[in-house]
Amino acid sequence: MENKAYKMTFKMKVSRFFRTLTLKKFILGLLAQLWLIMMALIVLTPVLWMISAAFTNGTNLTQVPIYPKFSQWSFANYQYLFTYTSSTQAGALPDYVDSFLTTLIIAVASMVMVVIFSSLVGFSFSRYKFRGKKQVLLGMMALQMFPSFMGMLALFMFFRQFELLNKPLALALIYVAGSIPYNTFIVRGFMRNIPKSLDEAAFIDGASNLQTLFKIIIPLAVPIMGFIAVNAFMGPWLDYILPSVIMPQKITVAVWLFRFMNPLGSTYSPLRFMAGALFLTVPIMIVQIFMQRYLVYGLTAGAEKG
Amino acid sequence: MENKAKFLDRLKTFPKRFALGIFHFFMRLIFGIGRFFKNIYLAAKNHPKSFISGLLSFFLIGTGQLRNKQWYKAIPFFTILLIFVLFEIFTSNYIYAISGEIQDYPAQDGIFYFFRDYGGFLTSGLWGFFTLGRLVLGDMYRGERIVTYDRVLTWKSADNSQVLLGEGIIALVLVVIFIITWIFSIRDAYQSHKTFVETGKVEDVKTFFKRVWTDYFAYIIIIPSAILIFTFTLIPFLFSFLVAFTNWTERISLGQMLFKWTFFDTFKMVFTEAAWLKFFTDVLSWTLIYAFMSSVTVYALGFIQAMIIESKYVVYKKFWRTILILPWAIPGVISLMLFRNVFADNGGLLNQILVQFNAVESTKSILSSLGLVNQVDPGNILWLTSPANGSLAKILVIIVNLWLGYPYFMMLITGVLGTIPDSLYEAAEIDGANAPQKFRYITLPMVLRATAPVIITTFTFNFNNFGAIYFLTSGGPGYPIDQIPEAVRVLGAQPGQTDILISWIYKLSFGSANDQYNLASVYSILIFVFISLAAIYNLSKLKSFWEED
Repeated sequence: MENKAYKMTFKMKVSRFFRTLTLKKFILGLLAQLWLIMMALIVLTPVLWMISAAFTNGTNLTQVPIYPKFSQWSFANYQYLFTYTSSTQAGALPDYVDSFLTTLIIAVASMVMVVIFSSLVGFSFSRYKFRGKKQVLLGMMALQMFPSFMGMLALFMFFRQFELLNKPLALALIYVAGSIPYNTFIVRGFMRNIPKSLDEAAFIDGASNLQTLFKIIIPLAVPIMGFIAVNAFMGPWLDYILPSVIMPQKITVAVWLFRFMNPLGSTYSPLRFMAGALFLTVPIMIVQIFMQRYLVYGLTAGAEKG
Repeated sequence: MENKAKFLDRLKTFPKRFALGIFHFFMRLIFGIGRFFKNIYLAAKNHPKSFISGLLSFFLIGTGQLRNKQWYKAIPFFTILLIFVLFEIFTSNYIYAISGEIQDYPAQDGIFYFFRDYGGFLTSGLWGFFTLGRLVLGDMYRGERIVTYDRVLTWKSADNSQVLLGEGIIALVLVVIFIITWIFSIRDAYQSHKTFVETGKVEDVKTFFKRVWTDYFAYIIIIPSAILIFTFTLIPFLFSFLVAFTNWTERISLGQMLFKWTFFDTFKMVFTEAAWLKFFTDVLSWTLIYAFMSSVTVYALGFIQAMIIESKYVVYKKFWRTILILPWAIPGVISLMLFRNVFADNGGLLNQILVQFNAVESTKSILSSLGLVNQVDPGNILWLTSPANGSLAKILVIIVNLWLGYPYFMMLITGVLGTIPDSLYEAAEIDGANAPQKFRYITLPMVLRATAPVIITTFTFNFNNFGAIYFLTSGGPGYPIDQIPEAVRVLGAQPGQTDILISWIYKLSFGSANDQYNLASVYSILIFVFISLAAIYNLSKLKSFWEED
């Protein structure tokens, strides 16, 4: 109680700071602040340059000023992005919007499926003993280690054969299959820390397996499922390699953007890339910064529990 | 010291233990097969009546269950059988064979061509899997010259090994699934009859399904995920894995869609041909350096940042933390492409700044005195594109990775620092420890212990960090032309100087006109072996992984 009642005002803080100021403290504090300022500069300079480039009218990097000149900012790049419609898409939405929606479908679909499937598998692995459990766990561990795009050629061939190319949901299934093993480990690690006495109490009260899962475990596992959901959304959101092979006609937003970065292509325009990339980055950045503590918690939880 | 001696001892005895392990494996296999037959013999001897049920299911899947009066089990088994048979028939050309078109069959090299021409998906798939096709365009076959890749009239078309291998794997997997179901049905028929004899009761439908639902719930909720992983991960991996044992490149580059099983030839080539060996050792050593350096630098900077921000000398902690976390919040791919622009030759941020401050020449001379810049062309510094500046590009790759990666460790270690009890520091102060001692004997060990698994995970992650290379440099700059061995100069599959194994594999598989897919597969397998060693080491440290409660 005492601690709560006693709250330092800013003035008190300042006065305490000067009262306790020593030479050593002053020098170390100064050095630390200088170091932080330097790091902040290193972190912020490229980002600010990117923003400045996104709002520069032109096609070449040389046209981007080092010091941002706000009076010369223009929305020419964004105008291009949101109005350009290629002849192959006549009458439809502008290309960028179209691929944005395609990517959104893929990301949301894979998010939903990953959360459902990996919480089911994680539940099974954390709560039940069954034959072959260790082998399956080891196998999933091994699966993660094989370079993921090694299966891509085969996937392309199978997809061509079964006419699944250019289908967003089919692509989402690949992401889901690829991320179940990793997420299972995380969910399993989390669910193992939920006391088993809860299950047993539910069992005595006559709850079925499904009821235990949905009424007891899932509500408690919401934080970790949120973490998985964010990751499962981010994964496909800006993935480039897989969509470029599996979706040759119906391109995703990352593929669309990276066309601007091919110096040999006819669409080469780093400034448009910067504009498009900035548009995709800002929402993600806001989410990441706000969910910071939560996301790091998930990462460490997954890491420490294996 | 003791640990080191133990480690060396284990290292010395490794070959012996390895050989013993293989011996053990084979002995277990042999004994396992022996025990299998012994069990069958015992079953026939001790429970002859139940054995008949099993035998019935062996001859026709599901009939054993019918004998046991368990129609609800027999129906699914019959349905599975029916599906497989109908699938085989409807995808086949047997109808042509029956209608008298069939003539005498060429049987060259001991291969029976009947299934190639008339077999359904399963049989022709298996044919394709084992032979990988034999006929190319222009071959004479059954009195006609083959001129097309026709998918409908298979016997008039040339073989495409890629398709045959793909379909073959699917067919093989289907057949294996069927065989497993079959064995399962035999076992089930025997066991059910045994329980029937013992208890005298036949389970009715309702209790059966209820029992399955509760007893096998753990399996049932895994099934959808297992199917997904099987189709979209395992089978494609199997394809790539098997390609390592073919001569894909040689033949495809000749314009023929045909390759063969060559087993370990590609592995042999990778390790014996000087040109490939040189590239492999170059790329592997850079991969190891990259993985090690990027993990260590990221960890160190993250540690330093966490210590500084958490120290009592810093004010506005939250403000600094938010700014310094920024690189983590930006998607990695975007940051990498951004840095590609920052280091661009013309108009890149770095070169623009140097021009602005008239520092191009002085920077160049400093860097060249360090041996990092050796470019001949005047003007801007070519950070990532000049073959002469290879080591500069390598250092930049690590620095950019540092920019991207340190915030994660900063946050992680900040969290760990918060868990160290203050009483430890107070006790140390009473004992007269100074700040470096407190760091050395309290902070460092505590943090290292908490984050050790993460360090190894980061190492393995960076070992395969495809994006960090591909989106920043695309593997460039290339090797100077005189450093590329004659034998591989034409292939267009050489790695660049900053290529790590995984990005080189990408180049080999998708980069050039002549796909070096079998080489890519071989290197993937090598990566897999390497990474799994690291991971097994990591897992062996993680007791919690194996603890079952």
